[in-house]
Amino acid sequence: MKNSKLFLFIGFLTVAFLMTLSCTKQSAGTLGTELLPVEGSPMVSFRILFNVGSANDPAGKEGLCNLTLSMLAGGGTKTLTFKEIQKKFYPMAAGVGVRIEKEMSVFTGAIHIDNLDEYYAIFKEMLLEPGFREEDFIRIKTNQLNFLEKTLVGNMDEQFGKEILNLMMYANHPYGHHDAGTVESVRGLSLDDVNAFYQEHFKPGNITIGLAGGYPTDLPNKVKDDFSVLPEGFDPPLELPAQRMPEGLEIVIADKQTPATNISMGFPHTIGKSSDDYFALWIACSHFGEHRQSLSLLYQKIREDRGQNYGDYAYADHFIQGRRKFPATNYCRQQQYFSIWIRALANSNRHFVLRQALRELKKLVEEGISEERFELVRKYLLNYTKLYAQTLGERLGWQMDSRYYGYKNFLTEVQERLPKITREDVNKAIKTYLNTDNVCIAIITQDAQGLKDALVANTPSPISYANPNMPQKIMDEDLVIQTFPLDIQPEKIHIAKASNFFQKTGIPKTE
Amino acid sequence: MHKYLSFFLCLILSLASPMILQASQIFPFNYKVVELENGFKVISIPLPNPNIISYYTIVRSGSRNEVEPGKSGFAHFFEHMMFKGTENMSPEEYDNFLSEIGAGTNAYTTDDYTCYYVVFAGRENLESVVKAEADRFINLYWDEEMIKTEAKVIEGEYYASVSSPSRRLFELLRDTAFETHSYKHTTLGYLEDILDMPNQFPYSQLYKNRFYAPDNAILLVAGDFDHDQLMTLVNQHYGDWEKSGYSLITAKEPAQTQAKRAHYDWPTQTLPMLAIGFHGPAYSDENIDKAALDLMAEIAFSRSSELYQRLVIEEQKCQSLGASFADRRDPYLLTFSSVVKNKNDLAFVEEEIFKELERLKTDPVSEEKLDDIKSNLKYSFANSLGTTDGVAGSLAFYISLTTDPGSVNRMFDLYEQVTPQDIMAMANKYFEISNSSVVTLTGGKTQ
Repeated sequence: MKNSKLFLFIGFLTVAFLMTLSCTKQSAGTLGTELLPVEGSPMVSFRILFNVGSANDPAGKEGLCNLTLSMLAGGGTKTLTFKEIQKKFYPMAAGVGVRIEKEMSVFTGAIHIDNLDEYYAIFKEMLLEPGFREEDFIRIKTNQLNFLEKTLVGNMDEQFGKEILNLMMYANHPYGHHDAGTVESVRGLSLDDVNAFYQEHFKPGNITIGLAGGYPTDLPNKVKDDFSVLPEGFDPPLELPAQRMPEGLEIVIADKQTPATNISMGFPHTIGKSSDDYFALWIACSHFGEHRQSLSLLYQKIREDRGQNYGDYAYADHFIQGRRKFPATNYCRQQQYFSIWIRALANSNRHFVLRQALRELKKLVEEGISEERFELVRKYLLNYTKLYAQTLGERLGWQMDSRYYGYKNFLTEVQERLPKITREDVNKAIKTYLNTDNVCIAIITQDAQGLKDALVANTPSPISYANPNMPQKIMDEDLVIQTFPLDIQPEKIHIAKASNFFQKTGIPKTE
Repeated sequence: MHKYLSFFLCLILSLASPMILQASQIFPFNYKVVELENGFKVISIPLPNPNIISYYTIVRSGSRNEVEPGKSGFAHFFEHMMFKGTENMSPEEYDNFLSEIGAGTNAYTTDDYTCYYVVFAGRENLESVVKAEADRFINLYWDEEMIKTEAKVIEGEYYASVSSPSRRLFELLRDTAFETHSYKHTTLGYLEDILDMPNQFPYSQLYKNRFYAPDNAILLVAGDFDHDQLMTLVNQHYGDWEKSGYSLITAKEPAQTQAKRAHYDWPTQTLPMLAIGFHGPAYSDENIDKAALDLMAEIAFSRSSELYQRLVIEEQKCQSLGASFADRRDPYLLTFSSVVKNKNDLAFVEEEIFKELERLKTDPVSEEKLDDIKSNLKYSFANSLGTTDGVAGSLAFYISLTTDPGSVNRMFDLYEQVTPQDIMAMANKYFEISNSSVVTLTGGKTQ
């Protein structure tokens, strides 16, 4: 009996899995929908995409989008306090998540069908009838300030490095502040600011309702009706200024008492996933530094061959890790950048590894990718991307992103496009979009002045190994790396105390 | 209660008869357990997720097994060495093989076990995955030079973690609370032991022989595959793996007789932190102690609790507050922790936690609250089963504790049996001041 039930279960779910349908509707100024019904699924996934992000923060009110949306996801409604919401959500093991990015934010939730009605009633109220209570405001604003002042600068150096890189690349640009704002700007935010931002932006034309799973057929229309209470309107896509390319090697060093150095580097470029050239550049960057996979050339050279640190990666565009090591979804943006992430390494080896990463980038730009690696990486991406969308939320997220990029289904597009890409396409993309001369480099380390002096003087930077019998090939290459010249002008190196970052917009002044 | 009953009905889709499901069916998937002659246990869970397979190898050795002085962090270190290839397959060939099939692969080390996983698309790749994984577990090749190079990677991993004050806080708590048991150190190990890892080649051979053997490892496969085909392949490729026969003896932690306290001055700015640990029981799916304590942690310290609502949401003294009663093979800590907004409130928050524990000794919790907690635990567990990876990862934890996948069902069955009186009894049994260790961390001057 048990086996026959299981057979029914498997068969039912398999059929349901294969029978999923999707549809989407949105025109300018109207509410969009993205549906992924999965008949028989006991779960329902919500993704409410909001085409507004931290780049929409008014000047001087950086962090306002983050604070406003955090108030929706983490505060009470007109009829329920946040305490009451948590009490109601708890038996369902439910919640509402939010992530704010530059031009896009997303509210997420997942619930079992048993609890759908009760959950949705609260979820809807949180977004459409926020309470905007003073006590929630104080709590959430204080958390946002503590994050900027203490946590980001004091407790998470790898992320700190990436944020400094963003400040460098996007100075005087709507992207050029942390999504959470600055200490100065957040301190000045009021509950009226939050309310005004909500009123101004939370409009149907900025919102896409995403639903996936075994929801009842009338739910999409019900949700659309509910959201129709919002005043009509939409924000046109932001008109962003042209991205500034760094001039030479531009370095910012955050001086901090730490045993480990963190490095992030990169530069803006002009293509994203909607571009034909993206696929070729993606192969190049996957070869050079696939995120947290041994496929990464940087990982092989820096970690595996030399044991310098825990990992080294590179990205064709803005990257946020989702479940496991797969990319998250719903953080699309108009402007993109290439980046390299060097994870924490001993301070004594910082100059050597910086040289090594830039030398490898130079080799990539000059020599391109080999035929053998090209074939391997292309095959890898064809197979690995099959794992990207496993959960309901992941499938829905990719479906929504596909609309942004202009594809019916981006992951299907990958299967169609990659086999047609040639090694020549990849090498052409490398030459077109990557460079080694104009790079922003963010470093968190101690004795910043000592590093600056060594960089400007191109002081040799030999390293030593615990292994007395390192392969000769590596030792020979080390001799080249340790004197690899970096053309760094002293005026291009800026040192600032770590604790001064994120106090105000931009890179803090040297003291 | 009716809501989550229909939830499980839906999960299992028992369409033929309206049966009332018991908590013992929290894990809704059918599985098979087969043990090879060499003691290698295989758990197979065929699932309907089209074309995706999760292949987990669980070695029941973690930092708990680091019983000799100077060897802290070695289980984690050896996890790294497991990616160094064999005489049949160089590390480059192994990496290229995984890249070609586009596998998501990694490993992690815990207190009690080390888990290696390969998640991949394509039934046609199963044979080559079984072959490659069996080869590296049986025929791993490494030498002294490789040890010396990889040891620096561990040092780098340590550096990647040093900017996290919470990691330091919990290192300090374990070091303070434990006297003799290997749970005294974290999986990453002490820095001085990490720095000595380049010299540990002889010990690495001993470690491999002791713990990387079929009688100390379990294979868990979930996803789109045929069980019989899997077993044919497993017999073919793992059948010659030799038993270890080694029996680990961990130190018995003496009963704590007086309260302990420690403090760490973090060099840079950070929010003040507090952690309190009490020695508690080992994981058990038979004894009510751990099940009652798990529910108590949720009742008194989860987001739905009165204390959390008061200190985090209303009075806003804390940025976070929670309890973690981790499941371990040997008796471990029942831990409470909080990130506090103002260091002047550290003592107040500590006092409030102790007061709440005292209250739990005398005031029975309501049946309604208990039902809410049981519901939450079940939905939380079931929500984790949405992918092959989620199924395998969730079960891997319980398998590591007992080797028996049925343990998860028995544990949830125990949760159903917990009464308010059980919770009071456990509070009285474990939360004595003399059994506590309190550690605090505060930030230094601005830099």
